[in-house]
Amino acid sequence: MAPLQSGTLTLPDGRNVHARLLAGDPVAPSDLAMTYFEPLTAWLEALYPRLHPHECATAAGDAILAVIKNPQSYKPERQRRESLLGYLRMSAKARLGNLQRAERRHSTRRASLDAVALSPVMGKYLGDEDADPARIVEHQEEESAAPAPAPLPDSLRTTLSSVEIEMLRLMDMKERRTIVFARLLGIVDQPVAEQRRAVKRAKDRLHKRRRRAGDAHDQED
Amino acid sequence: MTRRIDQFARTASSDPFFLGSALADYAASEHLDDAGMASALGCNEELLTPLRLCRRPRPEPALFRADIKAIVERFAVNADRLSEAVRRSDALRRIRGTAAQGDGMLMAARDRERNGDETESTS
Repeated sequence: MAPLQSGTLTLPDGRNVHARLLAGDPVAPSDLAMTYFEPLTAWLEALYPRLHPHECATAAGDAILAVIKNPQSYKPERQRRESLLGYLRMSAKARLGNLQRAERRHSTRRASLDAVALSPVMGKYLGDEDADPARIVEHQEEESAAPAPAPLPDSLRTTLSSVEIEMLRLMDMKERRTIVFARLLGIVDQPVAEQRRAVKRAKDRLHKRRRRAGDAHDQED
Repeated sequence: MTRRIDQFARTASSDPFFLGSALADYAASEHLDDAGMASALGCNEELLTPLRLCRRPRPEPALFRADIKAIVERFAVNADRLSEAVRRSDALRRIRGTAAQGDGMLMAARDRERNGDETESTS
């Protein structure tokens, strides 16, 4: 049998190569790869022009290897409308998606690890110590253990300013970033350390008022 | 032949499923580069890529002969040298596998382990 030319394979040829793979022909894996690798890679590159060509080649190669190692995965009788090339395209496209997702997961993990590694650097997070990843994890653990806040008694609500009500709402939503409260209080032009102190004072004050209002509310009941 | 398919074939050669793994073992044992390997097989270098992507011949004698025959008929390479390459690779892999398991023929080079009253060999 003469070597197959890349890109010229038709449906019957594809079935022929597949049948030879199933029959254990030692040359069939070579024919399959030599015939389909290049057109499959080129098809992926055309479909995803922004991706690195190496990723397309990897996905194409993986799809081809999968059929070589497990030719039973392609069932011509079930995939009547799909030629072997169509099947390989579907497989390669799915593998490319998996590669992309794996890369995104890797990037995200790398970014979060970098953040943790850099967290002790003073001022790295725009002076907001609550942006320290170690602190975030700490807060998350505290939050998961903390009970849900009680609704604001009317006696307290009527005495609060709109800023204080918004602050309480944010605190109930477990907002921890100093900068968010500093914006609300209109003190972002102050030094970071001063912002932190002012926000803490305002939060402590609201906590106390809420506690007192809660106690009074309980006594009324 | 594109460089990409060549690279794909070389990558696949790390998998013992492919004939490329046997050719790589043989080339390493004979200190052959691609030109040397092609010369040994009696073909041109370009043919090494499709050859690498063939399935490695099965070890059972009858199947081995049939597989070598099919590959030789297709690529017109030297049958004796191809058989020798695969057999050499099989032998090298057996040795490596035996060594990895920590027994077999490499055991002779090891110190005897202490076991009860048995004393370590001083010879």
